[in-house]
Amino acid sequence: MSSSAIEPEIADIVCQLDNVQGMVDALSSVRWKRHQEAVLELSEHGIVLIVEESRCLQAKVYLKSELFVSYEYGAEGRPRFGVSLGLFVDCLNTFSVPGHASTIEIRYPGPDMQLLLKSVDSPDACIYAELRTKIPDTVSWDYNFEPAGSTPINFTVKSAALKEAIDDLEWPGASIQIVMEPDPPCVTFRGEGHGDLQIDFMYYANTDLLIAFQCDRRISYRYKYKFLRATTSNIPSSVIKDNRGSKLTIGRGGMLKVQHLVSVAKSSIQNSHIDSTGHQYQPSRIAYIEFFVKPEVDDENPVNDS
Amino acid sequence: MKFKAFLTDNGVNLLEKRFLPALDKMGRICHLYLTRDHAIFLHNLLNGDGVQSIAQFRKESLFEDYRISSQNEDRIAFTIDLGLLHRALRSSVSICGEGGGTTGDRLQIKLVKKLPPHSRQPMPFLTFESKGYKSAVIQDVPISKPLSKADIIELQTALDTAQDLPQTLVQVHDLLQLQSFVDRLKHVGDLLNVSITQYGDLHLQVSTTLITIGAEFRKLRVLGVQVEVPDGDRVMSAQSRTESAIQREEAMSVKVSMKHFAKSLHCHFAKPDCAFYGIAAQGSCLTVIFQFFVPGTRQTDKSISLHCRLPVLDTESS
Repeated sequence: MSSSAIEPEIADIVCQLDNVQGMVDALSSVRWKRHQEAVLELSEHGIVLIVEESRCLQAKVYLKSELFVSYEYGAEGRPRFGVSLGLFVDCLNTFSVPGHASTIEIRYPGPDMQLLLKSVDSPDACIYAELRTKIPDTVSWDYNFEPAGSTPINFTVKSAALKEAIDDLEWPGASIQIVMEPDPPCVTFRGEGHGDLQIDFMYYANTDLLIAFQCDRRISYRYKYKFLRATTSNIPSSVIKDNRGSKLTIGRGGMLKVQHLVSVAKSSIQNSHIDSTGHQYQPSRIAYIEFFVKPEVDDENPVNDS
Repeated sequence: MKFKAFLTDNGVNLLEKRFLPALDKMGRICHLYLTRDHAIFLHNLLNGDGVQSIAQFRKESLFEDYRISSQNEDRIAFTIDLGLLHRALRSSVSICGEGGGTTGDRLQIKLVKKLPPHSRQPMPFLTFESKGYKSAVIQDVPISKPLSKADIIELQTALDTAQDLPQTLVQVHDLLQLQSFVDRLKHVGDLLNVSITQYGDLHLQVSTTLITIGAEFRKLRVLGVQVEVPDGDRVMSAQSRTESAIQREEAMSVKVSMKHFAKSLHCHFAKPDCAFYGIAAQGSCLTVIFQFFVPGTRQTDKSISLHCRLPVLDTESS
């Protein structure tokens, strides 16, 4: 007999995950403060977790259905519900046993609209959790990200270098200017506050750090330091260890999009292959993390795409 | 009042590498209670609402040439700082080790009264005397004034009460797994619900208004009162399974402090060979009994015993 015998109703979602730590890493990367409310959106394609702050910063974690060992979707429309991000991560953490690959089942909704989790490896030692969910606030404000012009403006930089640069900018603090110049191709982070600090990524000088660069005109926007910092403050160590890159795109109105890739691959070497650069790689087992940061609108000349 | 003994190699090894680190985690200060046959380390037996722990050694498992005398049926008890005791023992051992292990490098331990510097009042100490190849070192660990006759009787009574066994005990194999689980659970809540069934289920659960997390370990070995596993409970959830067992009076459930539970798990530093959990009659406390095997066998070493009693915060038993 299976445990579904006592679950008469079809759940919106029942999925199994074999790399809990990967999911913990992915969700932790959008944790920039202690108490955060997150909205989970379910669809046949996967689960999206959305966190927002002050209408200036939004983060999304895309957990595609391929990340799961099994993914059964039984809902109509796109169910959404709110959870406390901190509790959700702490709760998942309980299932992640170091040095032991554990498989968990995630189910929604429970009899009282809870999010239900349980370990499924061993019938004689089971861990379970029920997380209270909330009705999310009105549709979260949409961060319409549109390209700034005909050519996309973006660069890709090693995640470790990006984090280091942003950490260093804590000293001047307050607000950080990001400048991109096509000739010579260069990205500059400039902080002015308690002092001045400028960090340049020259495309030709640091091809190993600045992996890609696309920009056809000088562009410059300011962002609040605390929001910029949130985009890298909790990058999981696996991202740094895997030597991954982060992509930053500046869209219309200066909206900054920061994208990270977090591996949710099963830690065993089975059914993974080693790519040419020597990294273990399971192509579809990546969680996408996106941050959207609104620029600061100061004086009369807010936008300066010159 | 006199106490003098030599610590054996086995005794040094047991205390230095295993028991003192474990007991130190239970609480810095404890009672050391010496009788004609036993040396016993006791936490929170006379005072306080913390975890009670009792580590009892037959004198042969730690000492040789064990001599004790007092007007109180040769019983002596005092409080001691385990951190200091551990430090003194460690450095005495390193000095003894210098001699290359030849006979005669024995580590003597005795009770003395000395005049500490800048003081006119003699104070009691537990003294370690070690003779190395070229040097001899004396280390004095300060202790409290020995307990009065009345206090010793109280301590002995508390110790006797603490020996009561729960009706049913279940055996947990993997203390480390339990510890790693409890470490993660600590963030979630302060109260831990512990349920034990007579057919070998141990169910731990933390519950707050926002979240419930639990772990259920099934089909554990049962000592004492035991019943058959009921039919058809496989399909139930852990919670309803435990609830119906409590209704049938085949299980008991208590709430203990998460901090206490985590603390009792530190006993794994003493490297026990197995652990048993049980709930005392009327749900008065949660008892954890650690067993040690005679090295190289699977026979219980009766000369060493260690157990903890966790105070119950809010009874909710059958």
